[in-house]
Amino acid sequence: MAETINFFINAAFALALASLAASAAAYLLKRKAPQKAVPFLLAACWLALSAGLGLLWAKLGRPPLSNQYESLLTMLWFLFPLSAYFYRKFPVPEALWPAAFASPVIFGVAGLLDRTARPLMPALRSNWLILHVLSAMAAYAAFALAAVAAAAALAKKRAPEDEELLLRLAKTGFALLTLGIVTGAVWANTAWGAWWSWDPKETWSLLTWLAYAAALHLRKKGWRGNKFAALLVVCFALVLFTYFGVNFLLSGMHSYG
Amino acid sequence: MLKIFASLHLFFALCLALGSVFIYQTIFNAGPPVYGSPWFAALGALLAANVAACAGRRLRTASASFLFIHAGIVLVILGAFASRALRFEAELPLRTGTESDRVYSGNAVYQLPFSVKLVDFRLEYYGEPSGKLTIRDEAGGTDFPVKEGTELKLPAKGAEIKVLRLARDFGLTGKNEVADKSPYWHNPAAQVEITTGKKKEKLWLFANFPGMHREGLPFHISYGLENADIKNFTSAVLVRPSGGAAFSAEISVNKPLRTGGYTLYQSSYDPAEAGYSLLTVARDRGLWAVYAGFAALLTGLFLWLKR
Repeated sequence: MAETINFFINAAFALALASLAASAAAYLLKRKAPQKAVPFLLAACWLALSAGLGLLWAKLGRPPLSNQYESLLTMLWFLFPLSAYFYRKFPVPEALWPAAFASPVIFGVAGLLDRTARPLMPALRSNWLILHVLSAMAAYAAFALAAVAAAAALAKKRAPEDEELLLRLAKTGFALLTLGIVTGAVWANTAWGAWWSWDPKETWSLLTWLAYAAALHLRKKGWRGNKFAALLVVCFALVLFTYFGVNFLLSGMHSYG
Repeated sequence: MLKIFASLHLFFALCLALGSVFIYQTIFNAGPPVYGSPWFAALGALLAANVAACAGRRLRTASASFLFIHAGIVLVILGAFASRALRFEAELPLRTGTESDRVYSGNAVYQLPFSVKLVDFRLEYYGEPSGKLTIRDEAGGTDFPVKEGTELKLPAKGAEIKVLRLARDFGLTGKNEVADKSPYWHNPAAQVEITTGKKKEKLWLFANFPGMHREGLPFHISYGLENADIKNFTSAVLVRPSGGAAFSAEISVNKPLRTGGYTLYQSSYDPAEAGYSLLTVARDRGLWAVYAGFAALLTGLFLWLKR
């Protein structure tokens, strides 16, 4: 089964690279034809990833959410439906190509991580694990899309074509991050009797939450266009530290994933 | 006054201040955590006042989502303060067969309105752990799965190894005989007989103390376990409320027991003493406010996204 899982995940990686190539070709050659292939390539990538994750779930006998490799694949899984949802609302290439850019990068990072699946430690054997990790990973996926779209706007040195897209992505990520923090707190209270312990991951999640709250309020105060885009890139740097930096540099209750 | 507290500039300043504190605490601070300090509590109180004032100023014109979100945040912060002031948490250490209504928090001892007897403490593994011997040299290490009676021939080293006995939780009886102290794999050990040339040597190898009994051996050998991951640990208890009927219950990680206004959590155990279980007894009278805040916040965010 391990070979079949690897086949589907590698196929998804290849399709993600193909969608990046198609997006790049459409942008560089200023042609619409390659861009038309991007939604289909991303959909195929998502299907292959779904098959890989489904088989991994069956092999492990539990949802693949307990180490950084598994959670990163789950984050990738959310990237595509979120992208498709916002592409339907905002049918412009800018709504799709953040996923085309971000997915190969995330697949590449996942490939560098330890894939060893270990049995769940007692504290992780809870249904809260599913809700907590899924909401956090969905939030990170929305923030990743927002950051890539914002960085692209900044690189082009002009205001984002559709700032509403950035706002909707940031709002979605913020709501999902809140759900992730809340479910984590309720779970911690069930497992340890303390809903908040100032664990480094908790603290950095709260810091990230405050940063996005401030960014959304600054936008109301007039920080629009490139200023808002720059804020989203800075906030995503905090997401990256919360997700990777805390695990590698700081020890705490989330050291496993 | 309301205008000052309802300022968005104050909110940005508080976000910046709290963010800086979090970065300092998690990365640079080697001393006591700042979270218990009065000035940190003041920052939290100021944030609650700021968010409440913002919501208060727009009470008549704001959308339901705005009010739910801001009321939720205020409730969570107030609940956190109530939790800090009203929360009771203490440890209840128990040994199998013992009963106690005394719990400990630092140097203080408290009496519960019920007593708890530890009837049994169980550790559950994902599967039966297996032993292995590792022979290591300059080229690296080689693992050999072993059971009692396994014989290994190592022609390259001119040695033979026979596994005489395996122990899960090595201990010595009063007569100095080896016996398992518990059915759990707390102190795994293997007794091996190593033959090199005409020399025979019997020794115990301990998984937890790989350096022991290694002196004088012509190669490095160690004993270890595979698949020894713990799935769960459970305390079977008998709870006797004062003036009430006793009842049996089980407490494990993620499955606490609520009784008499307290919640009992399975905290820990002691690998050196198989019948020992550490429970945490907690009562948090501020929790309802926190949970009400969470509910309001999530309701508000749901409405906000739907707009």
